[in-house]
Amino acid sequence: MATFELYRRSTIGMCLTETLDEMVSNGTLSPELAIQVLVQFDKSMTEALESQVKSKVSIKGHLHTYRFCDNVWTFILQDALFKNEDTQETVNRVKIVACDSKLLSQ
Amino acid sequence: MASSTTSAVYIHVIEDVISKVRDEFINNGGPGEAVLNELQGIWEMKMMRAGVICGPIDRSSGQKQPTPGGPITPVHDLNVPYEGTEEYETPTADMLFPPTPLQTPAPTPLPGSADGSMYNIPTGSSDYPTPVNDNSGGNTDVKGARPSPYAQSPSPWPNQRTPLSVDVNVAYVEGREEGDRGTSNQPLTQDFFTMSAGKRKREDFATQYHNSGYIPQQDGAGDVTSEVTNLEGSKGDNDLDRCYSATTEKIKVEAPSVTSSSKIPQQDGPIPDPYDDMLSTPNIYNYQGVVNEDYNVVNTPAPNDLQAATPAPVPQNDTGDDDDDEPLNEDDDDDLDDVDQGEDMNTAHLVLAQFDKVTRTKSRWKCTLKDGIMHINNKDILFNKATGEFEF
Repeated sequence: MATFELYRRSTIGMCLTETLDEMVSNGTLSPELAIQVLVQFDKSMTEALESQVKSKVSIKGHLHTYRFCDNVWTFILQDALFKNEDTQETVNRVKIVACDSKLLSQ
Repeated sequence: MASSTTSAVYIHVIEDVISKVRDEFINNGGPGEAVLNELQGIWEMKMMRAGVICGPIDRSSGQKQPTPGGPITPVHDLNVPYEGTEEYETPTADMLFPPTPLQTPAPTPLPGSADGSMYNIPTGSSDYPTPVNDNSGGNTDVKGARPSPYAQSPSPWPNQRTPLSVDVNVAYVEGREEGDRGTSNQPLTQDFFTMSAGKRKREDFATQYHNSGYIPQQDGAGDVTSEVTNLEGSKGDNDLDRCYSATTEKIKVEAPSVTSSSKIPQQDGPIPDPYDDMLSTPNIYNYQGVVNEDYNVVNTPAPNDLQAATPAPVPQNDTGDDDDDEPLNEDDDDDLDDVDQGEDMNTAHLVLAQFDKVTRTKSRWKCTLKDGIMHINNKDILFNKATGEFEF
């Protein structure tokens, strides 16, 4: 199964990466095993987003920068408005990084 | 709402990951389940510090984990690791993380967050008698980890900052070397100048200039570097000096001279230019007057030539330059990096997702995203689908 390493940059991914870094650096964990954990995280996070998350969000804003490189879209929005069912958030600057969903199904 | 659902999903992911790597930890000479529990404990603690996991939900995860051990045992374990974590926090933070002392005040929230760690660690201890030591070690790890997770934004980045800063330093060292090369180039350029002068006077004089040219060049270069370093230690100054010398010698005629004596002088000349341009604006002035043609000609090949071309006399100049230049460059870099990263952290609103479709009509962009994690205004929000409408 193909996976994205994309989600490692999320809060949960960063926390895991930090934890693994510490455990590898103090010798409790082998680097190989740490990588296996990260790969498993990629899978689990992707699956959880597919199966457990149902919410829908709309995003509006001024597109400051767009980039499409290596099948990854990167948008930098200014004065962006995020809406979902129960809340809405405004952000003066946000970065959106999106991988091609078709790559996962291959 | 969002936070609770996000928390639930995160906890599910943690449990899923832990359960699916359990075999790897237990079998094939793996580190054992105690280490796995330690991993989970630290991970969840960081998550709670980051505020993306809710305490109560974590308990359920803790109960699920204990599968090997009795559900009751975790209670005892909770108390033990709980105290241990608090005690460890301040010392470990000081021990492991120099920045932590600033963050240590944060640990007060520990009691709430500590629940998850407690649950996790106890299970490991209950299963394995020896793991108690491991647990303490795990706590120490947690301590070190905690400061960072607590102020999540600062902690993860600082860790990265150090490597980044190191990299920057390295890059600068290279820059220095290059700059040094440039200084070393100065003698060459001076030779070049002498060469050019000889050419002007026509090649009869050239031989004399060559012989005498090398010695004065070395002296001149060394003097120039020392003087420059004393003044500001910046490469740009060296270049300026070079330019002045060049102008004094009326080297503006260089183009013909370069073609004739192209071998040494060209390589040297072009090399310092790109770096100088990169490093400081003042260099530009130099080139405007003198080196424009050389720069264009040798520009692409320059990097290769630079390394190969460095002459023997250079090292002396390098050492001197390195001593003087390093502190200046390093300080500047660090400051800039810190500022940039700090800004990034404060404004790091990030959406990670997969895109189904991205279309544009004139300046109007539409995209459909799915399976995303948004970190906005210090909140994590997950979405199954997202539609974006942007105006470029």
